[in-house]
Amino acid sequence: MRVVRSLLVLAGVACGLWGVWLMRDFTREQLTSEAFWLAGGVVLHDAVLAPLVVAVGYVASRVLPRGSRRPAAMAFLIWGTLTIAFLPVLTGEGGKADNDTILGRPYVLNWIVLTVVLAVYAAVGGRIRRRISAARAS
Amino acid sequence: MRLPTVADVERRMPRPDDFGSRARGTALTARVGSALGIAFMICFLTGLWSHVQYATPAWLTLSPHPTQLYRWTQGLHIVSGTAAIPLLLVKLWSVFPRLFIRPPRGARALVVEALERGSIAVLMAASLFVLASGTLNIIGWYPWEFSFRRTHEAVAWVAIGSLLVHIAVKLSVIRRGLGEPIDDAADDVDPADVDPFDPTRRSVLRGALLASGLAVLLTAGQTVPALRRVSLFSVRPGDGPQDLPVNRTAKGAGADRTALDPAWRLEITAGDRTMSLSRDDLLAMPQSTHRLPIACVEGWSRNATWTGVPVRDLVALVGAAPGGDVVVRSLQTKGAFASSLVVGNVAKDDRTMLALELNGETLDIDHGYPCRLIAPNRPGVFQTKWVNRLEVTT
Repeated sequence: MRVVRSLLVLAGVACGLWGVWLMRDFTREQLTSEAFWLAGGVVLHDAVLAPLVVAVGYVASRVLPRGSRRPAAMAFLIWGTLTIAFLPVLTGEGGKADNDTILGRPYVLNWIVLTVVLAVYAAVGGRIRRRISAARAS
Repeated sequence: MRLPTVADVERRMPRPDDFGSRARGTALTARVGSALGIAFMICFLTGLWSHVQYATPAWLTLSPHPTQLYRWTQGLHIVSGTAAIPLLLVKLWSVFPRLFIRPPRGARALVVEALERGSIAVLMAASLFVLASGTLNIIGWYPWEFSFRRTHEAVAWVAIGSLLVHIAVKLSVIRRGLGEPIDDAADDVDPADVDPFDPTRRSVLRGALLASGLAVLLTAGQTVPALRRVSLFSVRPGDGPQDLPVNRTAKGAGADRTALDPAWRLEITAGDRTMSLSRDDLLAMPQSTHRLPIACVEGWSRNATWTGVPVRDLVALVGAAPGGDVVVRSLQTKGAFASSLVVGNVAKDDRTMLALELNGETLDIDHGYPCRLIAPNRPGVFQTKWVNRLEVTT
């Protein structure tokens, strides 16, 4: 275990240094922009996204009825992670005006459909679970 | 009224125990983390392979075989990167309370803690960076000042390096977590405290894997033909002139006028020997037809049927032996990759050709009319369009 660990650390540090070496001829402007994006991801997650998710969870755990929390949480997990994964195509940015073979789908409409489907699952999934549990209890 | 002191702020800050969800836990983190680690490794290795196509080290000779190799590796690169996004988000969620662990006492412990947190910060920053820059590259949006290709590569090395360090540091925790059952041990919790309908570690694990799979299904249609209709969020729906998408149009390349000029000729040179051919001359030569993919770095790919003249027949016209390197130049005046190098190993393959037809029709101008290079196992950016010159260099 000790040997494996040491080898992993050595390999990891070597890879990391190689990555830094590959940036040796980047200009100051490029490095500043890179640093902004590197730090931006961490700040956006730790200071905005994660607290927001905690807040949503806190409210949901107090507002939602028993039995609908798990389907709601699952729907939220899938909706949230997929929305972030698909964020680039939802921005309307990118592509080129003279090329209609790229970004050729109604992404926002598709996202609304995805959202509605998951919202219905969150609502109905809970009701079904409650009914099952009521049937068991009686 | 007084300003709050550090101690006041500290008292107000949440502690790891304040996060109530029972769904978090080492058993979940280790499992999601393992899946994420595998996705990152696949993404890293396929990414390295792609960079090798751009800057080939001297010890490596690129081969035209297997025909579909780059299509597979680059498709896998984008698929594994896409799959990693939900996994990374759930992984970060599962350990978020640990951000609020108070620093330990004692100088030595403090240094160890700082090093560990530092390595995690680097891992997190680099991971988010490669995923964000990669997905933005797919849609062709570059809201930054750095070079995408070089920076994406450099930061990927940092990401994988800090991942290896992270695995080393957490090895015993990972092993313990994977050994623990994903479900709560029955004697672990008081049943009176438990809402049986709360999310559990098992349901979050399932949700993370499901989200990851959905992210792939909903985008991978741009490289997996069977998923075309399912992939509601793919950047390349797969349509285009002659049933093939386009990365750069003739207009975008500044080649739309010159490509249609009747005076267009293909120049072939080897040393001081030169040859000039019209499109009719090319059409009069023996044609060959092959099914070859266009496979782009953005992860979209599509097979097509190409008809044209093998490059080795063309270089033979100026007396060059097959097996020499060939530089292919384009009419393109705007944007990168106006020329490409076909190494001898690929140039002598009988499927490497200047295509005149695509899927049974005269090549569309956006696909490179009057003629374009098409070769097996080659990234799309090097399948040079609007070709007007072949130079045998060796």
